[in-house]
Amino acid sequence: MKTKSLLAVVSAGALLVTLAGCSPDVSAGGSTDSAGGDAGSCSNTIVNKDAPQVSVWAWYPNINTVVDMFNKSHDDVQVCWSNAGQGADEYAKFSTAIAAGTGAPDVVMLEAEVVPGFILQDALVDLSEHGADDVKANFSAGAWKDVSSGDSVYAIPVDGGPMAMIYRADIFAKYGIAVPTTWDEYAAAGQQLKDAGGPFMGDFGSNVPAWFTALMTQNGQKAWDYESADPQNIGVELNDSGSKKVADYWADLVKKGIVDTQDQFNTDYIGGLANGSYATYVSAAWAPGYLTGAGASTEGDGADWKAAPLPQWDPANPVSVNWGGSTFAVTTQAKDKDLAATVAKELYASDEELQDGVDTQTIFPLNQKILASDAFADTPVKFFGGQTANKEVYIPAENAYEGYTYSPFTTYYYSELTKAMVSIIDGSKSGSDALDDLQGTMTDYAKAQGFTVK
Amino acid sequence: MTHPAAVLRAPSRRRNLRRPWIGWLFIAPFGAIFLVFLVAPLAYAFYLSLFSKGLATGTIFAGAGNYIKAFTDPEFLSGIWFVIRFAVILIPIQMAVSLAAALVLDALTTRLSRFARLAIFVPYAIPAVVGTLMWGFLYSPTFGPLTDLFKVVNQSAPEILSSGNIFGGLLNIVVWQWAGYYMIIIYAALRGIDPSIYEAARIDGATPRQIALRIKVPMISSAMALILVFALIGTLQFFTEPQVLRPISNGSITSSFTPNIYAFDLAFRFSQFNYASTISFSLGIVVFIAVYIFLFASRKRRGGLS
Amino acid sequence: MTTITSPIKVRKKPNVAAHVFLVILIVYFLLPLWWLFVASTKDPQGLFTGTGGALWFDKNFNLLANIQELVTYKGGLYFRWLGNSALYSLLGGVGATVLAVLAGYGFAKFAFKGRDFSFAILLGSVMVPLTALVIPTFMLMSQLHLTNTIWAVILPSLLSPFGVYLMRVYAADAVPDELLDAARVDGSGELRTFFTVALPLMRPAVVTVLLLSVVGTWNNYFLPLAVLSDQNLYPVTVGLGGWQALAASNNGGGTSLYTLIVVGSLISIIPLVIAFLSLQKYWQGGLSLGALK
Repeated sequence: MKTKSLLAVVSAGALLVTLAGCSPDVSAGGSTDSAGGDAGSCSNTIVNKDAPQVSVWAWYPNINTVVDMFNKSHDDVQVCWSNAGQGADEYAKFSTAIAAGTGAPDVVMLEAEVVPGFILQDALVDLSEHGADDVKANFSAGAWKDVSSGDSVYAIPVDGGPMAMIYRADIFAKYGIAVPTTWDEYAAAGQQLKDAGGPFMGDFGSNVPAWFTALMTQNGQKAWDYESADPQNIGVELNDSGSKKVADYWADLVKKGIVDTQDQFNTDYIGGLANGSYATYVSAAWAPGYLTGAGASTEGDGADWKAAPLPQWDPANPVSVNWGGSTFAVTTQAKDKDLAATVAKELYASDEELQDGVDTQTIFPLNQKILASDAFADTPVKFFGGQTANKEVYIPAENAYEGYTYSPFTTYYYSELTKAMVSIIDGSKSGSDALDDLQGTMTDYAKAQGFTVK
Repeated sequence: MTHPAAVLRAPSRRRNLRRPWIGWLFIAPFGAIFLVFLVAPLAYAFYLSLFSKGLATGTIFAGAGNYIKAFTDPEFLSGIWFVIRFAVILIPIQMAVSLAAALVLDALTTRLSRFARLAIFVPYAIPAVVGTLMWGFLYSPTFGPLTDLFKVVNQSAPEILSSGNIFGGLLNIVVWQWAGYYMIIIYAALRGIDPSIYEAARIDGATPRQIALRIKVPMISSAMALILVFALIGTLQFFTEPQVLRPISNGSITSSFTPNIYAFDLAFRFSQFNYASTISFSLGIVVFIAVYIFLFASRKRRGGLS
Repeated sequence: MTTITSPIKVRKKPNVAAHVFLVILIVYFLLPLWWLFVASTKDPQGLFTGTGGALWFDKNFNLLANIQELVTYKGGLYFRWLGNSALYSLLGGVGATVLAVLAGYGFAKFAFKGRDFSFAILLGSVMVPLTALVIPTFMLMSQLHLTNTIWAVILPSLLSPFGVYLMRVYAADAVPDELLDAARVDGSGELRTFFTVALPLMRPAVVTVLLLSVVGTWNNYFLPLAVLSDQNLYPVTVGLGGWQALAASNNGGGTSLYTLIVVGSLISIIPLVIAFLSLQKYWQGGLSLGALK
């Protein structure tokens, strides 16, 4: 009995030791020789060991390639990169590190929508004092506005998501539908599909509040009147007539069964996109890369995806909006803020690095060095059967984008907007009522958090 | 293996009390880790919970203010209400499944029963993250097995993750994950009963069912009480499964779905560390009260029975 | 596995109802695992639009190719995670067991002032939700310069209040006071008495506590998620969770992660399942003692 238990312990131990032994050492550069301080060890190889290091958190799928390129081409600074998680996971860690006063990296990848919130937590450095203007010319006015507040600049844009509509040309052809250019045509086409027993026209998922925000912005929603330089005051305007029109429009499509109400980005939705359950996907410039990666291929199953500009409310005055995209910001815990600002400005900004992002369909670059190049414009996109979608759709959309002012509590707002979208989907509220309630909720929240609501 | 249960109850009195610090020495290594990694962080979290900070205001001392706010916060209260309902429905089902399985396994010694014992227990060894991920796929109305099942009767599969069905969907995952663990504890307790007791009952003409319900179940009531307490604490602190299911839940799992999720979101998504700490401690208070009530009730009941 | 009749054990009447009940339970508890295995053999298209349905194989049997991709993806990062999990759960599990055995023995066999109070505190600690601890623990680790090191995961997982409880109950029963006294009379020191007399008697419970702690650490998700930021240090749970977030985000890039997630999940559960199955004789007894008190 005793011998047996001992054997058991030993064999359990042996099993685990064997497993531990299997782990190959992938970081040939040595993941432990950290010079990055509290933010931890590098997941990449340091090329120029004498140069000072700047620690970076980022989650782009090809960031390891980009960091290697950066380090090879820089003698004066080296990037020590690690992946602290995707989106919310990284923000949670960053928030904690800010609250703890230690543990944050020098440079952090953030989506533009969370930048004002971190400014308010005193987490980000004003880059206008560290030469941000050097690179201002590389970006569209809208992209720059997304990361600015007054004269201050808190992050350097990398990639964006100018919105467009991608559609199944084969489904449109089968049901004799012309590509809609206005939202009225979009709804009519959807009705036509439904009457003919076709697939859903599109999808209204409750987990894409950023998508819905962009669509309401398209019809004139002001949403937030806020400047980081004046952090006590905020204006809230979510239930204007334009926004209500958009909300009621989608509520109507949902009610008539013209669009599905599946959450996006999950396996069911991808499955639906792959198997022809949706005729369109109102999406952004990252959609082809995302869908290719998710396995929604165009080969073999007769799917013929094409890109078209986002439908408009007023075709005479088209409005371009953005969904998604990310930036590099310098944290207040950075030891050498000038050096960190250099990295924020130059990482993922060289031709070579950007080209890798484009080739691997990882990003839609905002940097005009690529955006304005003929090579990028003329690239046939495989997902769209060779359509030059950049030139026809996405580049004009990005250049017409005018920017957006985010609130300092975007995650809370998105959480409440999701609730409003759920109530629209389950029919418990009309679009207008949902926005009226949302206006009340957000005003109360802002007051409770100590803001003066204008 | 023998379990002289009688010996267990006899309190172990050390006659040698000259050097009481020796006992502390044995406890010291654990105690040190306990103080550093549990007591100290808890003390700090409690300290945080006494202050309040809005996004646009400075930190001010709030005393019990946060706690008053928490216990009148409809989001917190709706979370508490959910986990209480969940516990009231989950725990009896879970206990019924694990008790029934343990009783059947205890009565049989076939190869099938040995295999079943392992099969029922296996989910416990699977990380909650992976288990929930699997069920998430299985619940899928487009490519889950339910789709094929409902196709036979020409119906579309139900949306298990919709707000109306999510309760049942989570119930199923938790039962699947934990019933085996509880089953093994009950089974082990059953094995510890002296078989001669059954022999006597059988001679008196008791059927196997009577033996199971009248003899076995009462004899393992203390084991049952223990696992009920664990199940109660675990359920009131419900977190991982809904958190993992959240991205695919079509909005039915909100940021205040359970108190623990609420605390997590307040801290890590809405940057309200102080109030998040308050919510965590308020949940701790609720758990403490619930466990106390349960122990009080069960002791009274058992006392009355004996 | 399902042949029932064995000539040695002849039962008076085969209990059909009980066996049907067991078969239902087996199907229910193994169904997700069957799904996981079947899904691991599919390619990305097969996973979402396959021909065989969710519970049967697709026309393409892709298991080896999936494993192949898992091995090569990001330089075998997945297997590094698996190794990390093994390391954390081995160190954390062994450490937690050592501490629990010592403390359980101390609580069971020594009467001292404050014993009952400290034991009550220990048991009461399980009632506090873990979310309350994450921020302070992170701050503590930062102060000690331990964030983003393996110690940030291992040190907190050395805490196993339930393990101490089990060991106390077991030691109180399995180690007779008379034996300890006899050893002391023979001049054995307290430590030597513990190692030569008490520890051998406590072995079954030690195995149980070891396995439970190993499982606890292996399945741990939120603590490592909070304190680690270098993906080379992630355990497999955090790594897979990260892949899921990546796959579900709009920033996925050119690879389909779902097949990797599915086949990675399958491989990640194999070590613990094997450990439990092969050691079941030893830990079941230990559990019952905790329950009998």
